[in-house]
Amino acid sequence: MERAARTRAHGLHLTIAGVSLVLLAILSFGLSFVELGRLALPVALLIAAIKATIVLLAFMELNRERSSIQLALLAVAFMLSLLVAFTVADVVTREPVTLNPKETGPAEPVPFHAQP
Amino acid sequence: MSDAHAEHFFSEEQREQAARLGMWVFLGSESLLFAGLFALYAGYRAEAPALFAVCVHHSERLLGSINTLILLVSSTCAALGVAALRRDTPKRCAAWLGVTILLGAGFLAIKIYEYAKHLHAGIAPGNATTFFSQYTGGRSTPFWTLYYATTGLHAVHVTVGIGVLLFATTGALRGTLNATRAYPLENAVLYWHLVDLIWIFVWPLYYLA
Repeated sequence: MERAARTRAHGLHLTIAGVSLVLLAILSFGLSFVELGRLALPVALLIAAIKATIVLLAFMELNRERSSIQLALLAVAFMLSLLVAFTVADVVTREPVTLNPKETGPAEPVPFHAQP
Repeated sequence: MSDAHAEHFFSEEQREQAARLGMWVFLGSESLLFAGLFALYAGYRAEAPALFAVCVHHSERLLGSINTLILLVSSTCAALGVAALRRDTPKRCAAWLGVTILLGAGFLAIKIYEYAKHLHAGIAPGNATTFFSQYTGGRSTPFWTLYYATTGLHAVHVTVGIGVLLFATTGALRGTLNATRAYPLENAVLYWHLVDLIWIFVWPLYYLA
């Protein structure tokens, strides 16, 4: 009887997690129609991070795994953050290329991303 | 332990732990595979945010959102399937996995339809299409190339995940997977959850904001 109750509780726990995910997705979808300006992407990614946490803990049961596995996943998250952070930092801190006027003529620098 | 291939393990418990660790390491490597694509997205978006905004505006937001709901529900069903197997109800487990597989197939069908719509509108991998001159003033951005690469790679993972779940479903029905030997299914479903996790981040980046 007790085992059956625990089983039903676990099934209910999973269902609640699933419903939470769907509700968060609907929230994210609704917010995409609201003009949030520069906050649009951070808000969407924050909701995505919450959903990812629910999947990792409730479905993948990461909190019940051994600490070595949890550390390995932390390392993945850290490496991903480093990769994205340094790639963005590289791009946003680039100086425009100033071409030699004697060779090309125009004095205006030509940014990399501006293509004809 | 009668399996000759398992002689190098001290016990079935160790075999299970080794399989679990191996699957998590594999999931980590798959995450880093997509990390490269996410990093490219971040770099190019930082370089030309206005162009990315134009491209996101032309994405199929409704189709992408339906696909998001499909994957979230499928993940829930897969988790309930694992719970059913642990309760020693393999037929119920197979039923949940069957629903998961059908939802995965639905995801792929919508994805193919979405690709067809894009191609019909002139949005293709690479920049030499009329779409860009019409909406971006002739300026190009690798948004759509990244879109096809990321979602295409994700669709490959969904396809593989469906195959793995089909294999697990037959195992549950035949009895080779059961309450005392559930870890192969648990590992297969971990892969499916990763597929869902990746899409959870692909969706806002390419469809919402």
